[in-house]
Amino acid sequence: MTGRKPFRSLALAAVAGVGLAVWVFPVIWGLLTSFKTERDVLAYPPVWFFKPTLDNYREVIFGASSIMPNLWSSLVVSTSATFFTMLFAIPAAYALARLKYPAKRASGFYVLATQMLPPVGLIIPYYLALQKVGGLDTYSGLTLIYLTFSLPFAIWLMVSYFEDIPFEMEEAALLDRAGRLRTLWYVILPQVRGGIAVTTIFVFLNAWNEFMFAVVLGGNRVRPVTVAMFNFISVEQTQWAKVAAGAMLAMLPVILIGLFAQRHIVKGLTVGAVKGGGRR
Amino acid sequence: MSGNEAMRASASVRIEGVVKRHGTTTVLHGVDLAIEPGEFFVLLGPSGSGKTTTLRILAGLEPVSDGRVFMDEVDVTMREPGERDVAMVFQSYALYPHMTVAQNIGFPLKMVGTPSVEVAAAVNEAAAKVGIAHLLGRTPGQLSGGQQQRCALARAIVRQPRLFLLDEPLSNLDAKLRMETRLELHALQRNLGATTVYVTHDQEEAMTLADRIAVFMDGRIVQVGTPREVFSTPRTIEVAGFIGTPAMNFVSGAWSGATVTVAGVPLAVRASTDQPREVKLGVRPNDLRIVAEGLPARIERIEDLGDSCIVSFAAGESHLKLKSDRLHPVKEGDEVRLAFEPGAEHLFDAQTGARL
Amino acid sequence: MGSGTKPARSLAAQERRFALALFVPALLVLLLTTTVPLVYLGWTSLQKLDMSMPWLSGFAGLGNYAKMGGDPRFWNSLVLTGVYTGTTVVLQVIIGLSLALLVLQIPKGQGLLRVAAILPIVLAPVVVGLFWRTLVLAPDFGLVDLVTRTVGLGSHNWLGDPQLALISVIAIHTWQWTPFAFLVLLATLATLPPDVYEAARLDRAGAWQRFWHITLPLIRPAIVMVVILRMMTALSAFAAIFAATGGGPGSATEILNLYAYRTSFTELNLGYGASLAMVLLSITMAISYLMFRLRRARS
Repeated sequence: MTGRKPFRSLALAAVAGVGLAVWVFPVIWGLLTSFKTERDVLAYPPVWFFKPTLDNYREVIFGASSIMPNLWSSLVVSTSATFFTMLFAIPAAYALARLKYPAKRASGFYVLATQMLPPVGLIIPYYLALQKVGGLDTYSGLTLIYLTFSLPFAIWLMVSYFEDIPFEMEEAALLDRAGRLRTLWYVILPQVRGGIAVTTIFVFLNAWNEFMFAVVLGGNRVRPVTVAMFNFISVEQTQWAKVAAGAMLAMLPVILIGLFAQRHIVKGLTVGAVKGGGRR
Repeated sequence: MSGNEAMRASASVRIEGVVKRHGTTTVLHGVDLAIEPGEFFVLLGPSGSGKTTTLRILAGLEPVSDGRVFMDEVDVTMREPGERDVAMVFQSYALYPHMTVAQNIGFPLKMVGTPSVEVAAAVNEAAAKVGIAHLLGRTPGQLSGGQQQRCALARAIVRQPRLFLLDEPLSNLDAKLRMETRLELHALQRNLGATTVYVTHDQEEAMTLADRIAVFMDGRIVQVGTPREVFSTPRTIEVAGFIGTPAMNFVSGAWSGATVTVAGVPLAVRASTDQPREVKLGVRPNDLRIVAEGLPARIERIEDLGDSCIVSFAAGESHLKLKSDRLHPVKEGDEVRLAFEPGAEHLFDAQTGARL
Repeated sequence: MGSGTKPARSLAAQERRFALALFVPALLVLLLTTTVPLVYLGWTSLQKLDMSMPWLSGFAGLGNYAKMGGDPRFWNSLVLTGVYTGTTVVLQVIIGLSLALLVLQIPKGQGLLRVAAILPIVLAPVVVGLFWRTLVLAPDFGLVDLVTRTVGLGSHNWLGDPQLALISVIAIHTWQWTPFAFLVLLATLATLPPDVYEAARLDRAGAWQRFWHITLPLIRPAIVMVVILRMMTALSAFAAIFAATGGGPGSATEILNLYAYRTSFTELNLGYGASLAMVLLSITMAISYLMFRLRRARS
């Protein structure tokens, strides 16, 4: 028995290591590529030790096809979508989780159902409507359609956090003469700060990574970085190093958020999954 | 500060015909109650008897299905909790986990716009009263169970409410701490003079704390009285069985004249009747005696508690218990006879369970 | 809050008013942003609306839906949707669960694996698609080809060959989303009470029996939830496929979602695209309804 153990854990570690490598290696490879010259990229066998260059980054930041304006577009759209999502989601989730009102079950189901809508079904009417009112290629148009997937998701995720608070909290606060609104503000919201942070992160990530809405409803003025990356590859077919540098830059914010908020993200995924929310 | 404030801070409470339904089940079937200003009033009953619901109705946390609630003869049935000037200590304490002890205690004052200097003074005073003045900077998570309980208490007394509600406030403490806190709570209430309604299922707590007790059974109040009254003249057989440890002994018998005949053995009682009837005869374990003449019984078990002992008997169908502070010269398996002093008996109608 | 002198207002009514004040804004936003557009979508699906031939626009009734019956590209996309969704979901759950069970046995380094698993999840699908198309699957210089060439299996056109392309997009999707199943199932497994396993050990249950009779029933709700969520993602998968193959070669990787998109925005036939989107919507709704029924029946 004891003799088998080290071998067993070694085998386990090996399997886990392979899993880890499969998920991480493509990204590491991309990172390495972004520092290569285009000649090194196409070397066979692949070169592991090469003279790193910052030319690719210089090109995608300052060059003719700079993606800086696109990063700015992404930032504006994602931030405003996140802001409005949280603005509407937090109060609604609180009502859904804690208060009694007519047709509560039905309204909960409605929110859940809106989350199931396939995006392609929404984009056609949005395209037609925004075209009529001149809303194509505007930040407000894109922000509006981002609410369609982020708001139901955020409501359900927040509901699960509100549900964790004992009911006595509100009762004590009401007896302490706080009233409903101040009970929410002083007693309840501080206790779901973690949940608000997690939900904000998720909403922001989803908005940042969105592609289909952005490619149809965006344009020359509003072109998020996901669309820019896509156009990049169509134009610069074989310039992989530049593509890799652009991708690294575009994904830097989400990777950083992912690493820093790692623990919270796992909790958010689990909460969402167990309680029944979450498209992603 | 406390002198005339304390005078103001005690309300009379009256509830009339309060009914509470949850869907199809009725939790309270028309409860009436009148509580005097400054009284320490205990709602006692087994779990699910409606005592906590009644407390929550007084607090305004639970709307009534029917009936009315008065404080100082003003109808407050429809008032929100915050408008009633009542404070409550929850069983779980319901301390705000993100605030310090000082912020917790000061919260009810802050909510009515009390200037922060006054809040600080009141917080210090309240914390000192319950002995947690040295813990003001901590958060609830850093407190022991007993300290949390005191913090909840301080939060309730800081605003000098007209009515003070406590929902099983001692049930989460260990036995020793519970006894100590009980005494302190009693002293604190006397000191504050605020009308207090206290919910518990622990009859010992009720006996030691209460000016008066209301005993709840199945959504009804079956008896209201001083601890002495409830103990010595329980109104129904349920109350008699619920109050006192070990529980009162009951045997079935036939009552005529001044005797109750149990299993063919006549036992003398003080009350007499001219209408012979079937009864339940109740005797407290303390009042039972081992004698030469009486109900035959076999000793099943002797529990020696050190300062007292409890003897269990089998008498026909029934099992009886005797509590005594001296050790009897008997052993398990002995056949003995049992009786009681006339006047120590409690007689209940065999059908309705009402006291006779 | 709280005006003291209006006793007629009952507590419940007050709570209701507060609740509605909080909920109605979000409800209105949802109605406006999802339900109204959906009605418009339904209406559009009944129109003949082809931007390349705008002079032919008009009401078409159920014409768009009738057209699907004889549209081989539609049937092809339907089959591909089934294959894509089924394969990716099954792969994700099996790989994710196996890995979670393995990782649970490793005393150290779980944290590192969790970080690694976060990585694919946070990446934008379109970037993932581009990454795979260039660095991983490109002929000759992609990572996969580097491996197959080294071990002597030769170079393949992973995204150019119709059969390989389908396998490739399934692999891409599985790569990106298996971590989700892995993380959720790992977290669920970690919450299982150890005393149940100790009791089972005392009852002489073997490792396989413990998995089959204890672990699996206990984590069934989590698995069902993962399956539901993963199906939703797979049914509306777009960016990664669009970036990697664009639905091609030909229509080899054109799932219904992509077909609806390409019809609407490449061929500009918005009426027919809308009707295809309606079909996808019905499938999504039907599946989620069935899954929720199934979940409720189990619990």
